[in-house]
Amino acid sequence: MASHIFSRGYIYPLFLLAISISAYCRADETAGAVAVVETLHETLLNVMKNADQQDFNDRYTVLEPVITGNFDIPLIAKVVISRHWEQLDDRQKTDFIGLFNKLSISTYASRFNSYAGETFHTLSTEILKKGRVLVKTEIASPDDEPVRLDYLMHNTGERWYIISVTADGVNDLSLKRAEYASVIKENGFDALVAKINEKIQTMGKPPTN
Amino acid sequence: MGSRTHHLALTLLLLGVIALTTGCATTRIEGEVDPIEPANRVFFNINETLDKHLLKPVAETYANITPRPVRTSITNFFDNLTYLNVVLNAFLQGKLDQGLSDTTRFLFNSTFGIAGLFDVATPMGLPEHEEDFGQTMAVWGVGEGAYLYLPLNGPNTISNTPDFVTSTLLNPLFYITSTILYPVSALNAINKRANLLEATNIRDEAAIDTYTFTREAYLQQRNYLNHDGNPPVTGYDDIFNDDGTDDESGVLMIK
Repeated sequence: MASHIFSRGYIYPLFLLAISISAYCRADETAGAVAVVETLHETLLNVMKNADQQDFNDRYTVLEPVITGNFDIPLIAKVVISRHWEQLDDRQKTDFIGLFNKLSISTYASRFNSYAGETFHTLSTEILKKGRVLVKTEIASPDDEPVRLDYLMHNTGERWYIISVTADGVNDLSLKRAEYASVIKENGFDALVAKINEKIQTMGKPPTN
Repeated sequence: MGSRTHHLALTLLLLGVIALTTGCATTRIEGEVDPIEPANRVFFNINETLDKHLLKPVAETYANITPRPVRTSITNFFDNLTYLNVVLNAFLQGKLDQGLSDTTRFLFNSTFGIAGLFDVATPMGLPEHEEDFGQTMAVWGVGEGAYLYLPLNGPNTISNTPDFVTSTLLNPLFYITSTILYPVSALNAINKRANLLEATNIRDEAAIDTYTFTREAYLQQRNYLNHDGNPPVTGYDDIFNDDGTDDESGVLMIK
């Protein structure tokens, strides 16, 4: 009797079922990561569409909880400082995490300051080693080529966080790591902090043109 | 006639020599991205100064007074002139379908597109591709080699330098008289710079160390192009592993 199950007629539907279960599980696995990215995108779109009525400070206020809540800023801050991190005392570490958080929010508030019909699309997801997930998306614009934005995500056990963004092949983490290493090597950690503060000040100013 | 053949043979020889030395250079400086950083920085600073005081202001004025459609046509014209180099490198990389599509694209845009001023090929399903000799070298298994910041020309890598030879030889402008060549090349430079204004403004707003920012962004973009927009997702591991950020459980922890 049992051998009937393995007869040809059953194999194909069983095979299909197995495939759909595994596809379902995979989708479920990455759904949380996709949701985090899409929350960020919705907020960005909202901020862009309201750019006429809102200034930098308004955009900052709207973006602050979304960036702080969805990016693993403490981890990112540590990775961008790289080997130098261990030489910092606890106070310096906490201060730098706060500063980097401010820099991230300011960068988004400054960059996403206009709307020209852009739309965000989630393209696909890829499961990487050590439980990380890559969420591939793009910003499409009516007048320009689309820009690819890939988000590297990790799960802390409680929820998904963004740990890195790659725009058309250029990764923000490796870029900042190289830059910061170069500044620390030439002028020291305090100079880096001063330069980041300076950047935040410049971005906070209303555009001159 | 004789001197023209001579000229060509010499350039091809030069191409061969550069390709050979590139191979050697790549193995010698393996693992080091920017071995000639001090020299690169000198040229970078010269270029940035020239750009700030000369090219950028001219490009900004040009962008302000030139209507969008005219700028698009000028960009199309110069893209088309350099497109034979894209065709050659597509074939050198063994991309036959793309090479044929790019050849048709060049022919259509040169004729129906009035010497390339209008891009009639893209709507016909013949998209623009980005290929150069450096990408061909990557397909042939030669690494990018050292980062090279060239005077007046900007970021490059050693393996992409032979591209100067192929792109110059395959550019019809190379064969016209210098009285036309110089003003046309100047227009090309100004138009190119104007197209980069948005990117450099973003860079200047974001960069803490402009030299390093330019180098990293350029090298990553090269890697992206070498893989036709789909680089393998392996780069992330070394970011997290080399400073003990990662632990065995697979969860990234702050220590």
